[in-house]
Amino acid sequence: MSEQWRLFKNLRRSVSTAEGLAVDDTLPQSVARNNSPPILHLYTFIPSVIVGKYQDIGAALRLERCRARGVEFNRRSTGGGTVIMGPEIVALGLGINVDHPRLKKGVGGVFQSLSLVLLRALDKIGIQGYFQPKNDLEVNGRKIAGLSAASEADSCLLFHTSLLVDFDVALMTDIMNTPVIKLEDKGYNCFSQRMTTVRDELGRGVSVTEMIDVIQNSFEEEFSIRFKEDSPDEWEEKTIQGLIDERYTKDEWIFSHRHPRARMGVGQLKTKGGLLEIYLALSGASIESVLVTGDFFSTSEDLHRIENALKWTSARRESIENNIASVWHDNMIYGIDVPTLTKAILLAKENQVRL
Amino acid sequence: MAEIKGYDMPDELFYHEEHSWAKVEGVKVTVGMSDLFQKEAGDIVFVDLPEEEDEVSQGETCGKIQSRKWIGKLVAPVSGEITEINEEMEEDTSLINTDPYGEGWILVIEAEDEDELQAELKNLIHGDAVQGFVEQEIAKAEEEKAKDE
Repeated sequence: MSEQWRLFKNLRRSVSTAEGLAVDDTLPQSVARNNSPPILHLYTFIPSVIVGKYQDIGAALRLERCRARGVEFNRRSTGGGTVIMGPEIVALGLGINVDHPRLKKGVGGVFQSLSLVLLRALDKIGIQGYFQPKNDLEVNGRKIAGLSAASEADSCLLFHTSLLVDFDVALMTDIMNTPVIKLEDKGYNCFSQRMTTVRDELGRGVSVTEMIDVIQNSFEEEFSIRFKEDSPDEWEEKTIQGLIDERYTKDEWIFSHRHPRARMGVGQLKTKGGLLEIYLALSGASIESVLVTGDFFSTSEDLHRIENALKWTSARRESIENNIASVWHDNMIYGIDVPTLTKAILLAKENQVRL
Repeated sequence: MAEIKGYDMPDELFYHEEHSWAKVEGVKVTVGMSDLFQKEAGDIVFVDLPEEEDEVSQGETCGKIQSRKWIGKLVAPVSGEITEINEEMEEDTSLINTDPYGEGWILVIEAEDEDELQAELKNLIHGDAVQGFVEQEIAKAEEEKAKDE
């Protein structure tokens, strides 16, 4: 008989950020301390924006625009950057022991195992995606899902991801305070070149309910398990309420100051291959995001690959160089080599200003 | 410096299975993350540290470490009071990658009692056992690679 996991499937209503995030945080705790098998939580949020645990929320978001548009904001307990959530985006939380036999070992292994489930789900609805190391799922060079995780109670971890069924680019550009906003002035929309959605890929409407069912089936097949639809027990309800009251509705958590300073810089470099213009967002000494633009010849897929290799890495010269080299191929950006690109990024770093 | 299968694992240190190391000088214990950890995790981008004067117990999670989008745990290898935090970490967490046993130290724990500390050190990986620990960790990774092929 196959192993049974629990499934919290919420198709009734979209939830607040406090409720959704509190349920997710409870999952690994329940596996570790409440004798629960792995729990999968599939749901949607009300229109909202969620930053990663160590992001500077005031620098990442235009909070006054969020308030004006009625978009909730909050901070999650897993790593990574800003994500926009809403009724058309499937949110996924998984609580599981890292030593579960069907999970690959190590940081990279766990991300890979869970990516396989989502790739299977995409495949089932007719989308050929692939894993873009180390944390993203892409379709033809465009991101369709990002993955993040946190080691929690004992050896249990919380895994987070979201899958874009449909997406409001205009909302994102209005409420986010990232280097890309600057590019909007030039009428150049980076998001549409770097992101995609299920509906864009298929050219037809897919309901969130359908997508959630497909993800559920993909988990069952990939891990050879079956789900029991369930709801939080008494211990879990209490934990969820505690997290809502003590964490996700508290300014001390949402505006937590235990994060490095957020800065941004622009670097321009004339090269043989054309003008390189780099937009760099830094968190302390780490790269939060980078955009490579200019009038050179390359493909958006290749540029995305380079940007992706640099996201959430150290902004030290040797680290930048190594990370670019790890994805580099000949003529990736025509007439420009790794040291030149590194130089342009370091120029952006030198020009950094406090956000 | 002892090198085991490409990882620097200095002989004089004690290692917790969650990859923190402990350097013992009397009752003063300097703590950091091992070379094995930093190579597996990749670039460390954030470190969430406890406060000085916090009391910690052996095996307790006393901090969080983010590499890429993964947040891992900093586990206290011994019990005691945190007496020092490496302030350089606030500006440059990559020190854990570039110099895990030197400038990349994370905090100092002062044990209350030397006998208790000695008893706790017996729970850590040290000496000849380090080789076995590293090999076991590598074997886990290789097993996965073999499954993929």
